Amino acid sequence: MAWRLLPWDYGVRNLFRRPSRSALTLGGLSIVALLVLVVVGFIRGLEASLAATGRPNVMLVYALSSGADIENSAIPGRTPALLTASVAGVRQRHGVKYVSPELYLGTRIEVGGGDGKQKGLGLVRGVTTAAPLVRQQVRIVEGAWPGVGEVLVGRLAHSKLGVAKESLAVGQQVKFDGREWTVSGIFTAGGAAYESELWCPLADLQTALKRQDLSLVAVEMETSDAAADVDLFCRERVDLELKSVAETAYYADLQKHYRPVRMLGWVVVCLVAGSGVFAGLNTMYGAVVGRIRELATLQAIGYRRRAILLTLVQEATLLSCAGALVACVLGLLFVNGTAIRFTMGAFMLRVDSVGISIACATAIILGVVGAIPPATKAMRLPVVEAIKAI
Amino acid sequence: MRLAIVTFTLSVAVVGFTGCSSSSTDEAAATAVPAASLDGSKYLLAEEPDGAMGVIAARESAKDGDPVVIVGRIGGSDNPWIEGRAAFMLLDASKLMVAIGEDLGEEEICMDDCCAAERADCTTLVKVVDADGKLVAADSRQLLGLTSDDMVVVRGKAKKDDSDNFTVLADAVYIRR
Repeated sequence: MAWRLLPWDYGVRNLFRRPSRSALTLGGLSIVALLVLVVVGFIRGLEASLAATGRPNVMLVYALSSGADIENSAIPGRTPALLTASVAGVRQRHGVKYVSPELYLGTRIEVGGGDGKQKGLGLVRGVTTAAPLVRQQVRIVEGAWPGVGEVLVGRLAHSKLGVAKESLAVGQQVKFDGREWTVSGIFTAGGAAYESELWCPLADLQTALKRQDLSLVAVEMETSDAAADVDLFCRERVDLELKSVAETAYYADLQKHYRPVRMLGWVVVCLVAGSGVFAGLNTMYGAVVGRIRELATLQAIGYRRRAILLTLVQEATLLSCAGALVACVLGLLFVNGTAIRFTMGAFMLRVDSVGISIACATAIILGVVGAIPPATKAMRLPVVEAIKAI
Repeated sequence: MRLAIVTFTLSVAVVGFTGCSSSSTDEAAATAVPAASLDGSKYLLAEEPDGAMGVIAARESAKDGDPVVIVGRIGGSDNPWIEGRAAFMLLDASKLMVAIGEDLGEEEICMDDCCAAERADCTTLVKVVDADGKLVAADSRQLLGLTSDDMVVVRGKAKKDDSDNFTVLADAVYIRR
């Protein structure tokens, strides 16, 4: 004889018969899913920020002695001219070569005036109009390209500086390296690390810093194969003490430095999910223990244990799915896009399909795994004894 | 009428393509070709050439354009290879590379900044060139079957500039195995 299942709406109605307990369980499951979503959003945001920064055909040329840190690099100002004259395969359009000389530094930046003066450690990049050619993710979303004494501000620069967003609005003043600069515009860069930087005209920055040299030259080649010629140039011109690295490789290397952070993030995801399972088990034990008579009655009127177990799992899964949905909505509304400051600049928490999938999967596993042990335990009691249970 | 439409379409296409393809380079860049399609054997010597000198000696004595025969070990850099090109870094045979942080013995150098000047003095870039003097656009590992730490003898010409940058334009390589 085929075993009879309990009606689907029996489980659904049960959830509303104990509204406070259901609401508490839902709240607990939502918090667990939301925590998972935040941690995955952190990892995904960090990964996306570094991954979006590099482009495959772009080579970074900087000082051999600077290690892996471009901030410490100082190369001769004539490097871009030498590079373009010596290396074939540099991309050009309408006679303009895709070569961007840049001066890059971390410095203390002062924003606001009077009592609202705030200081923070920020990243400044001196650039020419060639910069957007090799950094094609860059889009000016407000204002204009910086002129003399002006800076173009990345949309996450305020987060890196730890100041209010309004203090870096177009027309505001910032001060660094003993000079006042006016914000000329705001730019985005598709989530790339530049979004936490301030860009100003290279010549202006060199004057302010009393420097003639550069930190790096970013050069875009026609093909990724032609990148080898930049490497060849750097090794041939030993006197210039240069080295080159593909932009993607540079940021991939940085990703390696952040690997422990990402690993820690995944450990936190596992711990949160694990604690969620125990919390879920506890709640479900409480829910099932209070219903032993009801479950025994169902057995007495002919429902098999497997059918009752299934309806308990159904209730828990419904609650966990609802919890996952609540967490996803909260995540998309309040977590997605939140700026986080880190050593390289700032990045945004990303609630994407991967995060949502992991959070939903965690919540569903919590529901299923959390329901099975207490339900199995309740089913083991003899019917006669269970009916008499208080 | 039909001919006119076809002609018009082709004209638009040609104008469109030329308009959009203004990206170009001043001179043609070398494009790596699969090493299998090139005959690497013509760059390999069956017998070791006589009169080989070390990298340090060659850097000191050779003048621009001098024919040279240099012996050394492939290395002297984190990555001694130029990807997709028949070029590699050669380290003087008397020197030995050790890992960063290890105690340095005599004639030993490491990849850290402490040895940067010494490293520059005992290494050189070797470019394998064809009969026209152009760098062979194929990876030397595939073209010549070279591996890291191979001891090689290269025959070619010295290229030295006013800034004392020294490169060997090799026409043939002998691998000591």
